[in-house]
Amino acid sequence: MKINTPLLNRHFCAVVFSAFLFAGAAQAEKSTLNLFIWSEYIDPQIVSAFEKQFDCKVNIDLYEDVDSMLAKIQGGGAGLYDVVVPSDNLVPVMMKQNLLAPLRHENIPNLKNLGEKFVSPAYDSKNRFTVAYQWGTVGLLARKTAGQPLPDSWACIFDPAKSAGSFMLIDSVRDQVGAALKYQGHSVNSIIPSELKAARDLCIAAKSRSVGFDGSVGVKNKILAKTAQVGIVYSGEGVRAMVDDTNTTYIIPKEGSVIWVDNLAVLAKAPHRDLAEKFLNFILDARIGAQLSAYTQFATPNQAARAFIKPLDLENHAIYPLPEVTDRLEFLNDLGFKLRLYDEVWTQIKTR
Amino acid sequence: MPEKRQMHLGQQLTRAGRWSRAGITSGPAALWLGIFLALPLAAILAISFLTRGEYGGVELPFTFDSYKRLAGFGELGFDSLYPVVLGRSLALGMATAVLCLAAALPLAFFIARLSEKYKGAALTLVVIPFWTNLLIRTYAWQILFSPNRWLTVAAHSLGIGTAGEALYPGTLAVLTGMVCDFLPFMVLPLYASVEKMDWTLAEAAADLGADRWRVFRHALLPQIWPGLGAGFILVFLPATGQFVIPDLLGGAKTAMLGNVIQQQFASSRDWPFGSAIAAVALLLVLVGLAIFQRKGSKHEVLP
Amino acid sequence: MRRPGWFLSAIAAGLYIFLYAPIVVIIVFSFNAARFGTVWEGFTTKWYGALLHDSAALSATKNTLLLALVSTGIATLLGSLLAFGLTRFDFPGRKIFDRVLYVPVFVPDIVLATSLLLFYSLVGSFIPALELGMTTMILGHVTFQISFVAIVVRARLAGLDPALEEAARDLGAGEWKTFLHVTLPLMLPGVLAGAMLAFTLSLDDFIVSFFTSGPGSTTLPILIYSSVKRGLTPDINALATLIILISVLATVSLTWLQKNKQDPHPKK
Repeated sequence: MKINTPLLNRHFCAVVFSAFLFAGAAQAEKSTLNLFIWSEYIDPQIVSAFEKQFDCKVNIDLYEDVDSMLAKIQGGGAGLYDVVVPSDNLVPVMMKQNLLAPLRHENIPNLKNLGEKFVSPAYDSKNRFTVAYQWGTVGLLARKTAGQPLPDSWACIFDPAKSAGSFMLIDSVRDQVGAALKYQGHSVNSIIPSELKAARDLCIAAKSRSVGFDGSVGVKNKILAKTAQVGIVYSGEGVRAMVDDTNTTYIIPKEGSVIWVDNLAVLAKAPHRDLAEKFLNFILDARIGAQLSAYTQFATPNQAARAFIKPLDLENHAIYPLPEVTDRLEFLNDLGFKLRLYDEVWTQIKTR
Repeated sequence: MPEKRQMHLGQQLTRAGRWSRAGITSGPAALWLGIFLALPLAAILAISFLTRGEYGGVELPFTFDSYKRLAGFGELGFDSLYPVVLGRSLALGMATAVLCLAAALPLAFFIARLSEKYKGAALTLVVIPFWTNLLIRTYAWQILFSPNRWLTVAAHSLGIGTAGEALYPGTLAVLTGMVCDFLPFMVLPLYASVEKMDWTLAEAAADLGADRWRVFRHALLPQIWPGLGAGFILVFLPATGQFVIPDLLGGAKTAMLGNVIQQQFASSRDWPFGSAIAAVALLLVLVGLAIFQRKGSKHEVLP
Repeated sequence: MRRPGWFLSAIAAGLYIFLYAPIVVIIVFSFNAARFGTVWEGFTTKWYGALLHDSAALSATKNTLLLALVSTGIATLLGSLLAFGLTRFDFPGRKIFDRVLYVPVFVPDIVLATSLLLFYSLVGSFIPALELGMTTMILGHVTFQISFVAIVVRARLAGLDPALEEAARDLGAGEWKTFLHVTLPLMLPGVLAGAMLAFTLSLDDFIVSFFTSGPGSTTLPILIYSSVKRGLTPDINALATLIILISVLATVSLTWLQKNKQDPHPKK
């Protein structure tokens, strides 16, 4: 083996060294915004419009369930990301841990566009830390089969006798356990051990008959791929599936379900706080808000944006549920220490 | 050969000379492993005895709660779940190793018996999957096992699974993925032993009237023992601690230790409990490794 | 020696099919027109074209290569030195070190990954450089690579003939010169093999990267994993096909190189 050793070494050092330089150079570029958000939850064109307008680069990292987002933030991510998208029940959790930066309202004039229900919500009075991003529901996405009625109840998941074909569960503790609780007629915020145990057993039995767990986007894509007939999804995924494949439909089960509001928040240790607030303001713009909801097919909390949203979407009850349906929907609460019950139940469901 | 080691590049070294050279050469790596391997593993052990904060994170006081929960005494009363998961991981690891062994033996003998011309190619064909990304080879089984694919249909006609449904997620899919992913790890060391084998021993045994099994058992097996041991440990330990394969092909139906650990550090945000499971997994590996190294010192199992 | 019989050949053929089924299916389905799922809907090459404009895939490729290059460089240096030290010098604790070397090889990825995550988040508040991101990923990769490099290089060193070094010394070369001109060239094939292995391990790693990554440091395995989780695979199939092709080319050319460059100093 004839290799000129010193030369090879020098070569190698050069490569490694230039790789380091390259890494440094990449960081020294223009200002960046680090956004940590659900997958398929923002129109890429909105991102590039923001990049263009503010001459910056947006780094997007994705998550499939909101608890994993919080895990990453707690496990060393607190000083890395600028904007995160916690759901309403997670906002108090993040506030109590001082993970969120108070919003400087003077930097977010578009706050005035928020609908009245979303101004000063119960989980964040006076919008000190968050602004609503999108809202929606948890329900069933089902493929229509000729000669079979569409499922209208959680029974198609939890009762083997009323099965509507192969189904997928949602990989999100509160939403999945909440569905089992609702099916039994309990509150989605139950902390009664016997109710939770029963919900756990329902979920474990359902798991053994299911095609597995996935995030809402994964469930939607697998139903579009005909891997499963029915699955638990969020409303936006349900409505988007109906656009991609008219043979599918989104249903809110008659027993009731979960309603939620996702929020934009700036992290307390955000490296680019100013740009983050500009981003919040940008999203709250009326036209951008309309573009966003046209992409996600979730409901907008932006009152001003409604003027630019297709009437067809505004009249779509899968996106904006009727009042009599909303009566059966429940918000998730922050349960404090009692959340441990859910963690234990969830670990058992996923592990059994 | 201690006296030979004291000679360095043909020169006699004093004890100080030896130690300083050892420090310069082995020191940096030792320091690195001390900081980025030993300290983190010590941290995980320490945290497994702490208490989970209200919203994740860790707090004092010291407690055995995580280990109690692992033993089955959790928030909702006694449950044998975690011991079952431990057993399942060990059983799946063992099944993978045994199936890989059963597949690798004929393959190794096949390659060894090929003429020189084809041997290299046959071996390269085993090495290629070994160098190919494991994640890719694993999720490919999702496609192979999806509903109405001929493999799935064939399995259904044999009474495996439900007609019209995918063969994954489930234990069968996990095991298939594991065997497929780990097979090269068994074939390569085994082949190295088979290749070096002295076939005249087998011929002699056959001449003396031994049947096929006895020839294999007494003339061939002792010769391939080192390769077999290396292959076994290279498959069994990583298979037992797998996360990706049960995650992609098991769909929470065949959760193993790795999946429970991941869940604790992700959605459940329970570091002490996750650390306790990780500590148990680590202990398992160290014990397994020690056993094999002890056996191996007789048979030269590891390089 | 007997040539393999038909029975053995049939089993071997079956096993090769088993090994290659996943690889072939990925390549075939990278040409599938279907946007969702695994039903064949006609031939297309559009997913390859889409890759070129996929900024996420491009930046993940850049991150993956950067991570693999830097970590392999560090691990090869440290691991080779370690192997040299372990074979050449007797020091207290060497026997134990010899055994401990196998711990990173066998410790489950998920245990290493979570312990690093804990460590970084405990220490990170004091040392800002240990923020999750490319740096922490490199540190993690080097940690599992060092042992593999050291083991491969050590095997090479153990097979070297000490007479060659002694001859150099007898001819008047100093310790450093002997090392540079005799030992190093002799151990180089081992170093290169170790570096190759380390490089591949880094390219292959998903779990350590996943737990220690930060904003904008997504690698190809992380990208592939999250796309598979989301059930979005057509462009991932195209990406995977390219990765497979590169692995095959690298393996075949390396094997070919080894065959054609006859090594004058084989192990034993």
